[in-house]
Amino acid sequence: METSMEIKDNQLLSIKEFPYIITWREDRCKRCGRCLSVCPNGSIVATPKLVRVVESEGPIPKPMVKAKVVHVIEQVRDIEKYCTGCAMCEIVCPNEAIEPIYNPQNRFYHYMNKGGEPYRRGGRRNDPSPSTLDRIKFIRISMLTDPALDAGRHEFRIRTYIGRLLQPENLPLTTEDGLLVPNPDAFILPVREIFPVMIGSMSVGALSPPMWEGLAMGVAYLNEVEGIPIVMCTGEGGVPPRLLRSRYIKYFVLQIASGYFGWDEIIHSIPHMVEDPAAIEIKYGQGAKPGDGGLLMAQKVIKLIAKIRGVPEGVDLASPPTHQTKYSIEEAVAKMIQSMYMAFGFRVPVYPKISGTKTATAVLNNLIRNPYAAALAIDGEDGATGAAYNVSLDKMGHPIASNVRDCYLELVKHGKQNELPIIAGGGVGKKGHLAANVAALIMLGASAVQVSKYIMQVTAGCLGDEFGRCNICNTGRCPKGIATQDPKLYRRLDSEKVAERLVEVIRACEMELKKIFAPMGRSTELPIGMSDGIGIDDKDMAERLKISYVC
Amino acid sequence: MYAEGLTLKSKKTGLVEWIDSKTVRIRGNIDGVRIPSRILEEMIQNTVKNGARKIFVKADGQHGIGGRIWPREEKVELIVEGPVGQRLGSMGMFGTEIVVMGSASNDVGWLNCGASIKVLGDVGDGAFNAAAQGILYVKGSGGARCDTLTKHNPRFDPPQSWYLRDVGDSFAEFKAGGISVVCGYNPRNPENILGYRPCVGMVGGVIFFRGRIREYSEKDVKLLPIDESDWTWLITNVKEFLRAIGEEGLYKTLTSDPKEWMKLVALKPEERKKVSFPVPMSEFRKKVWEKEVGKDGIFAEYIDHERWTVIPYVVTGDLRRTKPVWENEKYLSPCTYACPTKIPVNKILSMVRAGNLLEANRTLLLQSPLPRTVCGQLCPNLCMDACTRCALDSPVGINKMGELSVDIEILSPKIKSSKKIAVIGCGPAGMSVGWHLTLRGYPVDIFEVETKLGGKIELLIPRDRFAYEIFKKETERFLSVVKNVHLGEKVTRERFLHIYNQYDLVIIASGTHSPRRLNFPGSEYVVSAYEFLREINEGKKPDFRGKNVLIIGAGNVGMDVASQAYVFGAESVYAIDIQRPKAFGKELEIAQKKGVQIIWPKNVKEYDRSKKRVLFDDGTSLKADFVFVAIGDIPQLDFVPKEIVSQDGWIKINECYQTEDPKIYAIGDITGQGLITHAIGHGKKLADYIDKYLSGCKLELKREEVIPYERIKKEYYYGKTFDERNGILAEAERCLSCGSCRDCHLCEATCYHMAIKRIEKGDREYEYVVEHDKCIACGFCAYVCPCGVWEMTTLP
Repeated sequence: METSMEIKDNQLLSIKEFPYIITWREDRCKRCGRCLSVCPNGSIVATPKLVRVVESEGPIPKPMVKAKVVHVIEQVRDIEKYCTGCAMCEIVCPNEAIEPIYNPQNRFYHYMNKGGEPYRRGGRRNDPSPSTLDRIKFIRISMLTDPALDAGRHEFRIRTYIGRLLQPENLPLTTEDGLLVPNPDAFILPVREIFPVMIGSMSVGALSPPMWEGLAMGVAYLNEVEGIPIVMCTGEGGVPPRLLRSRYIKYFVLQIASGYFGWDEIIHSIPHMVEDPAAIEIKYGQGAKPGDGGLLMAQKVIKLIAKIRGVPEGVDLASPPTHQTKYSIEEAVAKMIQSMYMAFGFRVPVYPKISGTKTATAVLNNLIRNPYAAALAIDGEDGATGAAYNVSLDKMGHPIASNVRDCYLELVKHGKQNELPIIAGGGVGKKGHLAANVAALIMLGASAVQVSKYIMQVTAGCLGDEFGRCNICNTGRCPKGIATQDPKLYRRLDSEKVAERLVEVIRACEMELKKIFAPMGRSTELPIGMSDGIGIDDKDMAERLKISYVC
Repeated sequence: MYAEGLTLKSKKTGLVEWIDSKTVRIRGNIDGVRIPSRILEEMIQNTVKNGARKIFVKADGQHGIGGRIWPREEKVELIVEGPVGQRLGSMGMFGTEIVVMGSASNDVGWLNCGASIKVLGDVGDGAFNAAAQGILYVKGSGGARCDTLTKHNPRFDPPQSWYLRDVGDSFAEFKAGGISVVCGYNPRNPENILGYRPCVGMVGGVIFFRGRIREYSEKDVKLLPIDESDWTWLITNVKEFLRAIGEEGLYKTLTSDPKEWMKLVALKPEERKKVSFPVPMSEFRKKVWEKEVGKDGIFAEYIDHERWTVIPYVVTGDLRRTKPVWENEKYLSPCTYACPTKIPVNKILSMVRAGNLLEANRTLLLQSPLPRTVCGQLCPNLCMDACTRCALDSPVGINKMGELSVDIEILSPKIKSSKKIAVIGCGPAGMSVGWHLTLRGYPVDIFEVETKLGGKIELLIPRDRFAYEIFKKETERFLSVVKNVHLGEKVTRERFLHIYNQYDLVIIASGTHSPRRLNFPGSEYVVSAYEFLREINEGKKPDFRGKNVLIIGAGNVGMDVASQAYVFGAESVYAIDIQRPKAFGKELEIAQKKGVQIIWPKNVKEYDRSKKRVLFDDGTSLKADFVFVAIGDIPQLDFVPKEIVSQDGWIKINECYQTEDPKIYAIGDITGQGLITHAIGHGKKLADYIDKYLSGCKLELKREEVIPYERIKKEYYYGKTFDERNGILAEAERCLSCGSCRDCHLCEATCYHMAIKRIEKGDREYEYVVEHDKCIACGFCAYVCPCGVWEMTTLP
């Protein structure tokens, strides 16, 4: 009889319930253990197995029992140690003996709530289908109509503005002797001219030091060497004082969110700063977890994070879902925008960021009435690098396409489309079409586009995908060293390589944007809201977005 | 002689004027009316067809003049005057020579396939666009986008284009071949003779130029000085160019110094890739980034590792997140854990396996004075129930462990302590604590009321359940070690006080010798199991022949009573219990074999002695000539201080067996009923505590952990058969050695990285160690160790 210890096998899940199934080839494996040493979730083990065969040789039955014990690599069937499909085992295997295979039959979500705790994870909205953005086509190819441009030959100015743009009649100019001259007494709101692709907010803490610095260095390179004025949002989680006090801070958008982490350290740095930041982003929501706040687990709050965020080590750091001390949309917007403008002497544009929502136009209407609001950033449902509840990641939020479109048309209604920029994000580059998604959003009405997940993915080789692969950013065990504070993991990541990839990606994106804009004859100003240039092969979507239906 | 196909109008107006059979003059304008390009083309083609080889054209902006004259083995010359339209000489072929007497409009020599075109003025935009062969000489300047898309077909010589002065913007875009020469003589813009952004997309060919330029497309072309063969080519061909445009006098100026000339050459595909990072990132990091933000980057102040080095996925040494540790005997094996005496079974069996029988038996005797009697016979062997081997076939026969120990002698060690310890009672608990304290060098006096030692083993346990002779031998050995056993010495209250004052510590181990009774009508006729069994052991032989016996209480003592009743001839024996009977093991087996019937739940209401019936609550009854009660015994505590006794009649102790009086300890049944092995275990543990206490060590209760079941790899033991006749030797082989290294070298063999070494430490001691600079912390050793000895621990 089996012991009670073995009766617990009755509770074991079938391997079929798991999202990834390890395939292991005994004939190739040399039992070097490299797979075991890198598996981030303890999902594979080595184990002795008894192999028994009965053989019979000769003309009459003459059974011979042969038994031997061999060592095999097998998958663990503890739901908490599920194989995440990251394929680190496959990466390090010298013999191509092991790899995880996606199991479309899995019932992982059925079981992933042990102890009554809802499944929490990192990663993205796990929906592998193409987004609306990916279905948008650029249908206006001018050959003989408009002066068609050559992306390879002509010069393009792929630039946009963040900041409140004044209408010509409101410009602070006076006429003197029939000439326009600046009015020296007039106050002019700050405006930044930037590359229309912004690197979205990923905090120090969410990202490892080499990852964050790699991106920052790449941003500096793009600006200083390539002449591409890209900016990066710091995320909420403080900014290293060394960066704050450097010239390069001008390439960064400082984020302030509901936890206000690191802001006292930033404020201490302000008197020592030699440059202003590119902008201030006030985060009210994010695409990863609409309606939810952030939590940096105590184990990730190591010395580095603690110092930068200005908190003690080893405590949970919660950013509540909402900002405290603000009791109405008017107050929230006015109070925060004013305060943040004041921090840098009204020299830095300040804009709020919300997650994609049905109520975006209400926020927008409020911003229209606020003379300082420098933009509205909207992060659609597909945006995420976060650690969040699965339900927030998968099921909450608003797709960015129609959200941005509604807001743009709302601006048009007020005649403000050239005044208040919309910054869109969320799922940009999801299928690898970074520039096409950017261009689609611009032509739907965005002035700039924020990209974070895709950037992380392509610059550092993040293993995550929409099939739930890896998705353990929340655990601090990121196998690539991207989303972890463990030096033994993050030292796997080479900042220089991250920076190089960022440069490559942005340069390629710039060229692709040219390829898209050239046939439309656009080389100097972005085709913001130029919706006659795009179409979609779905009638309802076309109608909803007020663009051409094409088939 | 008029060519066929000419229109009537042209005939009439004399647009074509033959000078001789090979020379013709063609006019593109008549009386101020410009003739269409199609007509002019027709006229040229027809005159050539009709033999014209020198054609003077007076143009008026017509398109494409002079092209498409298909080769005729001889030269066809065109001398063009007047305003020339676009695409002069387009698709020109070898043999065609065109001279434009002034300037020409756009796209001169478009798609040239061999014609020589000489323009004695400037050319407009797009000259030589897509030219593949032929020559263009320009006496003046070129407009924008000249020499774009020129090609070199290897079947022919490359096309050449020469500009005496300079060229306009966007020169040589997408140039794929051919030689362009810009002489830079008297240029319109001396600062920049190649215009704005030349060579974008240029992939082939060369541009020689003389003079200053401001820029060129660095991703497409490279700027080089000219070499010797270039120079030779130039000084040869410039002569022809200058002759053609009638500027021979400039030869010296243009060829005075090769250093005035440079060339732009298209990058080869492999060179193109190299410039993807104009500044290498590592250089940018060191010279730009760190210079601005500080050495080691923006996080330098918060990290204490090397900043820019990258570590591989698979690491050794301190970079690992875990490391294997050979945790031999860190955990208790399930048998030891289950054993109340905590006998280290697997350690003893490993000695047996190693052939060290004497050492094995000595080790066993250091655990218990009665291994053969208790472990081998009387103990229900909780160790075997817990044995991991149960899951494979049957438990290891741990009960055979003591079989060779009976004749092993143990020498009484020297007394090392002056502290005097008294033990009251010499049953299993008293014997155990006396034994262990003596072996640890303490002087012990044991006071036993009976004349024989052994307590209930001697008094109550039926002799047919165990080998009494062996027990005798074991008690004799006990007495040879523990010398001061005072038999027949009753400890009264006064005597206790005396002992208490005389000794440093007093241990009460007097057991339970007062049978518990029930009160019901007729209970005065009921005999206790204690009395019954004791009388038998003392030699009394009751006669139960043909009698019916009923036992109240179907525990193991009840079973002993039942067995004995049958021994003495009982016809039937019933054992009843108010609850699920607790009897188990050998006692139950023997009694059931003999025929006892166990009935429950039954609650006795009355014993009607006259009718010889026991009546129960539920209205039923059973015949009973004799009725015994076997519901346990309680201690007699009239000799001990009241304050150490609990309300329900047992001695109160803490986890170190200490009573309320710190000088008094209590062990065995007197603290609550248990098995013999519990009593022996108490004695062993107490001796340990006392030893530590008296030798001044800090008393720490060991948290004993059993090895997790799944760490024992049973797979290795399939099909092993052992000869049971080999007794403990076979059993030792069957032992899985849970949590204790069996020195099989499997870890050493398994480790691919050869990071595990076995170290001989002498005196049969050994150790497996890890070379951490080789170990990648895969955990293979821990996963496959048959005994579960290797453990992966976290590295900070």
